[in-house]
Amino acid sequence: MEARPTLSIQGAGAKHLSNLEASGAMSSSLPVLPIPLEQKYPKLPDSPQVSFERELMTNPMPPRGSSMVTNSSVVGHIFSSDSGFSSDLQFSSVSPHERHSRNAPFISQLSNNGASLPLTPSSHSGPFQSRALSHYSKESSDVSWCTDPLQGFLDYPDSVPTQNCQIESSGGGVMASEDHTKRNDWQEWADQLITDDDALAPNWNELLVDNNSVGLEPKTEIYQMPKQSSNSSVPQPQVQQLSIPSGELCTVGSPPSSVGGAPTKPRMRWTPELHERFVEAVSQLGGSERATPKGVLKLMKVEGLTIYHVKSHLQKYRTARYRPDSSEGTSEKKTNPIEEMSLDLKTGIEITEALRLQMEVQKRLHEQLEIQRNLQLRIEEQGRYLQMMFEKQYKTTGEKLKVSSPTPGDPAVSSSDAVPHSPANNEADTSEKDCAKTAINAIDNSATLNESNQKSDGKQKTPESRTTEGPEPAVVGQSSSPARE
Amino acid sequence: MKFGKRLKHQIQETLPEWQDKFLSYKDLKKLVRLISSAPSSSSLEGVSESRKAQLDFIYLLNAEINKFNSFFMDQEEDFIICHKELQQRIPKVIATWGPNGTEPSEVDYIEEMWEIRRDIVNLHGKMVLLENYSNINYIGLAKILKKFDKRTGGLLRLPFIQKVLKQPFFTTDLVSKLVKECENTIDAMFPAVEQEGERREHKGEREDTMVAEQSIFRNTVAALVTMQEMKRGSSTYSEFSLSPLNLVDSDLIQSF
Repeated sequence: MEARPTLSIQGAGAKHLSNLEASGAMSSSLPVLPIPLEQKYPKLPDSPQVSFERELMTNPMPPRGSSMVTNSSVVGHIFSSDSGFSSDLQFSSVSPHERHSRNAPFISQLSNNGASLPLTPSSHSGPFQSRALSHYSKESSDVSWCTDPLQGFLDYPDSVPTQNCQIESSGGGVMASEDHTKRNDWQEWADQLITDDDALAPNWNELLVDNNSVGLEPKTEIYQMPKQSSNSSVPQPQVQQLSIPSGELCTVGSPPSSVGGAPTKPRMRWTPELHERFVEAVSQLGGSERATPKGVLKLMKVEGLTIYHVKSHLQKYRTARYRPDSSEGTSEKKTNPIEEMSLDLKTGIEITEALRLQMEVQKRLHEQLEIQRNLQLRIEEQGRYLQMMFEKQYKTTGEKLKVSSPTPGDPAVSSSDAVPHSPANNEADTSEKDCAKTAINAIDNSATLNESNQKSDGKQKTPESRTTEGPEPAVVGQSSSPARE
Repeated sequence: MKFGKRLKHQIQETLPEWQDKFLSYKDLKKLVRLISSAPSSSSLEGVSESRKAQLDFIYLLNAEINKFNSFFMDQEEDFIICHKELQQRIPKVIATWGPNGTEPSEVDYIEEMWEIRRDIVNLHGKMVLLENYSNINYIGLAKILKKFDKRTGGLLRLPFIQKVLKQPFFTTDLVSKLVKECENTIDAMFPAVEQEGERREHKGEREDTMVAEQSIFRNTVAALVTMQEMKRGSSTYSEFSLSPLNLVDSDLIQSF
């Protein structure tokens, strides 16, 4: 691997760098990319998005070593607001604070080719983007650049921290062709991105959980303050969370929704508590008509809240108040003559019934949706758990050989127990939680069995996984019973 | 019925301003088809075509998620505001026109309460429809990711879905809470008002609001029916499929 002097900057980065070096998948023409690739995962949540194009224009040739604020353009772009999406170039970078000098060559290449960036309008920038990318991929100097944004896409969805050993295996396995052309590198990067890795994921998840669960420091603050190092940005939200007195201030929408550019509105997720504060501030200022966004912003004293947020919220608030007021006005004028009473009586009853029926239907839909959502969450959780188990098995396969297992029959037994159980229980009052517990227990059982029975060949995994998945539909079938009324 | 058709049906039945906010399932499917099922084709153009299509797909996916998030959070904000307003209106009405209020007037009181009730029901309906929106889009995403993985032999689905689960548009807890609060409010406030409300109403006004209610109502019914159909056993039933949904009054609902 070629020496990478620019990559010594961050500890985490160095770790990933070494991982990627080990992977051997990197061609020599991709000096800088692995780091940004890896670094993206933890940083994405907080990344403000700066228009890449602006950066290009202001810093055409940044020195390699300097810390720059760029990153794979596409990444940030993807989750920018809609306006950002369409108006900015395809290159709005995600996180100023995370991207460092490693992106500098990236930028310089881009700037060199800036003239050749076509700005053909298209139905969505997607195909445009890919055309641009493939265009660039043909140029040798741009290979590193073009793979980076791709990784950006695949990775921005946050889902794909890569793991060292998996890179090799997945790179080998998924690659369609084994020749090491530059396009193959692209594919390898894509695969690497897609490979799941729990080590990095928690960082990301943590950030999201922290930011979404208890209403804490709004992300906008983080978005707009350019950070120097990615590491500092990670603890930052947590620190700020602690400092907020009222537990449930605004939970700003998850990172992907942020847009760092000043003109575009950072997406903010309002909560009732935050709204309450807003209402108080407005009433202090003399009502929704008299209150100004600036005044409200000052009174609310919420860090990270921008005047844009307040402005749009105030507008909504005024609209919402206006309509009820006008309808109240008209109701005051109503004085029904008595002859209408009989007609009204009939329609009144009908109306009541209609409203009641409507409410009932809505309630039911709501129930169903809740149930469905919970199921979906659990299904995915179990899917993830299974995945984890498979990975563990892969890892330990080489180490443990030929552990004789009396227990391979057990998963089958437990699943067969579950299956006859379920039809009988269809009419029963099994609570959804119990069903989920059963499912999770079944998985747990097979997990412990798996771990105790390390098989030398992977074939064993498949029947076990089938049996663990076997009880799943049955259990899911059980859980449908509470849905019945 | 295939999911694409059901989704189309839902979109037709949905509130007009929502219609372009749903998942562009068809477009995504087209992209998946473009991804050649023979990635090891010899021609370089073939390979790059497929990769381009994959890129496009992922790009579009992310754009869609963006779209969902903004729409969802926008609606959520509106709901928060409306909900709060309604909650505030009730004590105001009681204080003004209620029996112990400043200007007791049974007529106005009843009138106002009716309107509040209607507004709460409509708000409730809209919120539930938003949850449904979130759900339908999620299902669509899961399906299209499954197709994508099948085509490319890739493993995009699992991690991507994990990420989707955390998106604002899928984390509908707040909306759910507001929905329950509406239900509680209705139950608390309006069993009493029900008898009085029968007495008088303005017909004309009713008609206006009935239109709004009907569209919400129709959409709700459509959503329920769709859900039921989607959860019927399908050929690709797997461990990731949902269980069949058995609604007791499905016949009644379908008659709407």
